[in-house]
Amino acid sequence: MHTLANAEATSVKGQVINVGMGQIATGDRSTQFTSVLGSCVAIVLWHPRLSLGAIAHVVLPKSHGQNGQPGKFADTAIPTMLEQLARMGCPKPGLVAKIAGGANMFRVGGPLQIGDDNIATVREILKTVGIPITAEDVGGTQGRKITFTCSTGELRIEVAGQKAKVI
Amino acid sequence: MTSTIITNRAEIFRPLFAAATHDASAAMCRWTDGLITLTLDEVREIPLHSVASELGFGDDLLTMVILGVESDPGTVLILTFDEENARQLAATLTRRVRNTSPEWDELEISALTETGNILGCAYMNALTRLLGRAIIPSPPYFVRDYFASVIQQALVEQAAASDVALIGRTGFHREGEALNWHVLFVPSPEFRRMLENAIAVKPNS
Repeated sequence: MHTLANAEATSVKGQVINVGMGQIATGDRSTQFTSVLGSCVAIVLWHPRLSLGAIAHVVLPKSHGQNGQPGKFADTAIPTMLEQLARMGCPKPGLVAKIAGGANMFRVGGPLQIGDDNIATVREILKTVGIPITAEDVGGTQGRKITFTCSTGELRIEVAGQKAKVI
Repeated sequence: MTSTIITNRAEIFRPLFAAATHDASAAMCRWTDGLITLTLDEVREIPLHSVASELGFGDDLLTMVILGVESDPGTVLILTFDEENARQLAATLTRRVRNTSPEWDELEISALTETGNILGCAYMNALTRLLGRAIIPSPPYFVRDYFASVIQQALVEQAAASDVALIGRTGFHREGEALNWHVLFVPSPEFRRMLENAIAVKPNS
């Protein structure tokens, strides 16, 4: 397994890439992405015909113009993913999205309901840029371990105490 | 004029974290009839994207007790335990034979949660004394989940301000041997400013 060396968007082929908080990665049909999510939301953009994909591990909804890792905020992550995919020869038409995460790991109804905000903003931005969400597993109060396979477009989700599922 | 050169800037917080750990250790020692003590392992700034792996947890499923701070929701204390020793601690505290069922029962959860409460209160009381400001822990609660999932939400406020996370880690020992348990203190940016004001490091001359 390969872990991205830094927070910048990185393209890696033929490997299993672990994507941490605020990171973005891209890959081709030989690539798998993995991540563990709590309140963060993983956005996967995938082109079914080209089998090219990108993933962002989004921590917060809006950057409010702040500099920093583009993958940290939903409003900077999605444009950066699209730029990275375009550089790989992957056009926006034909892309689909899958999203996961956005749980509330601490008391339901308590402070820091950031998971809900992340989900809402990701949905809003994807709608704005015209990329359909074809599958999602979001919300709740438990963490998720996800694996995305670029060759098939399958997103596998593991939650403690539950059977793994593929969406 | 003397100057202080800080090579690891998180180290300036060590005296405060060490004092809080000392009080938590005394409380833990009393709670476990002298069996278990705590020592401060490290105070570090870690890039957000590698927090779980740098702390050695990766994508581990852990048993945890979590406490917040009533007036500061961005500050979190997380106690992490390995399953086996946590079950044994619960058995010792409840004076029962270790429960072999895969599911934790209410008494075990209560014992571990109360352990977190005692440690957390001692830790926060020490910081209250050192910072001259009431720091009141919220009620603790028990979680079994991916550590990386829990720490993400704990780091939300720090993430809004920075691409690095300040974390203090404390280790547990039983009769001189290190246990795979930890206390992780995750201060909010506002709490960090309080810590900095309390230390008031003089700039280099």
